[in-house]
Amino acid sequence: MDIALQLLFTGLGVGSIYALVALGFVLIYRATNVVNFAQGDFAMLGAFSMVVLCVDLELPYWLGILITLAVMLVFGALFNFAVYYPLRNRGFQPVIISTIGASILLENGVLAAYGPRPQTLPGFLSFPGFSVGPIFFDSQYLLILGVTVVMVTLQYFFVERTLLGKKMQATSQDKEMASLLGIPIALMIMLTFMYSSALGALAGILVAPILFVSVGMGSSIALKAFAASIIGGFGDVTGAIVGGLALGVVETFGAAYISVPYKDAFAFIVLVLFLLFRPQGLFGEKVAEKA
Amino acid sequence: MLNRMISRILLAAVLSTSSCFGRAAEPLKIGMVASLTGSAAEVGRYETQGAKLAAEEVNKAGGVLGRPIELVIEDNQTTNPGVVLAFSKLAGDKDIPAFIGPTFSTQIHAIAPDIQRLGKPVTIGGTDPRLTHMGNPWLFRFRPNDVHSARVIADYGVKTLGKKKWAIVHSTDAFGTSGMKNLVEDLKGMDVEPTLVQGYTNNSQDFTPVVLAVKQSGADVMATYMTVPSDLAIFARQLRQLGVNIAWVGSPSTVATDGLKLAGPALFGSYAVADFAADSSPAAKEFAAKYEANYKSAPDYHGAWTYDAVHVLALAINNAKGLEPQKIREAILSVKDYPGVEGTYNFDQNGDGLHSYNVVKNDNGKIVFIKHIDFSE
Repeated sequence: MDIALQLLFTGLGVGSIYALVALGFVLIYRATNVVNFAQGDFAMLGAFSMVVLCVDLELPYWLGILITLAVMLVFGALFNFAVYYPLRNRGFQPVIISTIGASILLENGVLAAYGPRPQTLPGFLSFPGFSVGPIFFDSQYLLILGVTVVMVTLQYFFVERTLLGKKMQATSQDKEMASLLGIPIALMIMLTFMYSSALGALAGILVAPILFVSVGMGSSIALKAFAASIIGGFGDVTGAIVGGLALGVVETFGAAYISVPYKDAFAFIVLVLFLLFRPQGLFGEKVAEKA
Repeated sequence: MLNRMISRILLAAVLSTSSCFGRAAEPLKIGMVASLTGSAAEVGRYETQGAKLAAEEVNKAGGVLGRPIELVIEDNQTTNPGVVLAFSKLAGDKDIPAFIGPTFSTQIHAIAPDIQRLGKPVTIGGTDPRLTHMGNPWLFRFRPNDVHSARVIADYGVKTLGKKKWAIVHSTDAFGTSGMKNLVEDLKGMDVEPTLVQGYTNNSQDFTPVVLAVKQSGADVMATYMTVPSDLAIFARQLRQLGVNIAWVGSPSTVATDGLKLAGPALFGSYAVADFAADSSPAAKEFAAKYEANYKSAPDYHGAWTYDAVHVLALAINNAKGLEPQKIREAILSVKDYPGVEGTYNFDQNGDGLHSYNVVKNDNGKIVFIKHIDFSE
């Protein structure tokens, strides 16, 4: 029982990492109907920015986070102009290839600038965690879970209760209609990229103390996050969160009770099962090919 | 790159001035393929620095057959295609009688057929046991192979620490799996059946299931063969968080620089086997001091084996009294009790020079030499 509880906690912790990155996938998908394969690299950039600011330049942690998020907002806008905007009228395939290209460029750019050695980033909280009986609660995992809840709540209120949020939602639902209603859709999409970029960076900052900071850190998480968003129902915010958490838990329990070397396989077996039997995911609506 | 250019210019200058006297001996070229760029560029720096240090010493002591040696270094880009290209470039130079090869086993496998075709001695630093057991007579290993690391882990854990309940945690890649198999075999020889053998795939983000398995197994000692530094660090930290504090004897990767930096205090108190340890012998101590004085950084095994390789090649060519490949080969194989910085070299007929490992301990971040275990007969 102790072991199951420990596994549950760790599984939820790992799952919330997937969920945070999946959230970025979903937002951009909703706004543009394309998958951004550089989403994981946003996390990597955020983490490297923190290493530069807080480890190399020794700035205070909170200031490092603020600067990183500000820089990543600007980066998101640039990404929109360079990677998405020029190809926006050419269907989804060129854009997807373009994001893959951007991902390769970003990873190798950082590799050239910072070298192949993994870096460490201390956690925001100074204590490593605490034990309740035989169960250890890692403070960083608790922080990630907490931040995920806060971000989802904020996002809910932003989308449902503010005019800007409603405009963004309208854009994602039907661009033509939104445009006819006078919503500047190009601006809305740019804002979505900016927000997703900062959200990705936040995920990177949060996981860095656990997984360390390396060039490939983003892409390994992004693959699982992508699977999580499909399981949850692609394009659905709640689905991304639930899918991420479920994937983390399934993976951890599968590793513990069935086989550790096949840990990664469990995530993708679940993905294949969903694609076969419930392609719309947990929360997705059953829709035919969009016209 | 710049260093290489400067040293070449200096060498050229020295040669041209000495040739004015008409008695200059032409330098003897030694080829070297190193990872100067790519994902292991750091390794290439150590490799070339160690080799250059040895070349300077050889030349100061009169050179080889009365000629100074000159290292001709080609970049292998840390890739297999890169190493094939680099080696073929060097192999085309008829004046090169012997080569310093790569450190990575996979790269050595990539050029092994070319080496066999060329038929000239190549020194290597890869630890895959098969390299010297596949019928290629031109490969000479300057590090102990992985069969020995497992024997030393088993020997130290059972005989010195007196532990009988073993847990083995290993990566499922080639290195981890072969290490695990050798270790299980060696423990069997000591009548020990491991209570847990647990594999995992590289780049795991979480090791909780592995740590819990170790904890539940009731083992009192744990051996590890882990490849990726961040895996080692995540595992070590979760191990401590979940309260597992049993004795730990790791493979050489447990004391590699990157892993130590990432894991920090989580690795304190662990043991590891290592081929180079600065305090293991007078030769190693002297080398470490010289290396630090020259390059302002502590050496690791990448620089140590190339340093030994250049020295042993010089010795062998001098003993062979000529550049005929077969003669040089025989001279290397007859090297006995050579006090290198990696250990004492006694070449066997397979081309393996070292049969020993050092046991070291991570004492609050400082790597302390504990014991030298030698299996050469």
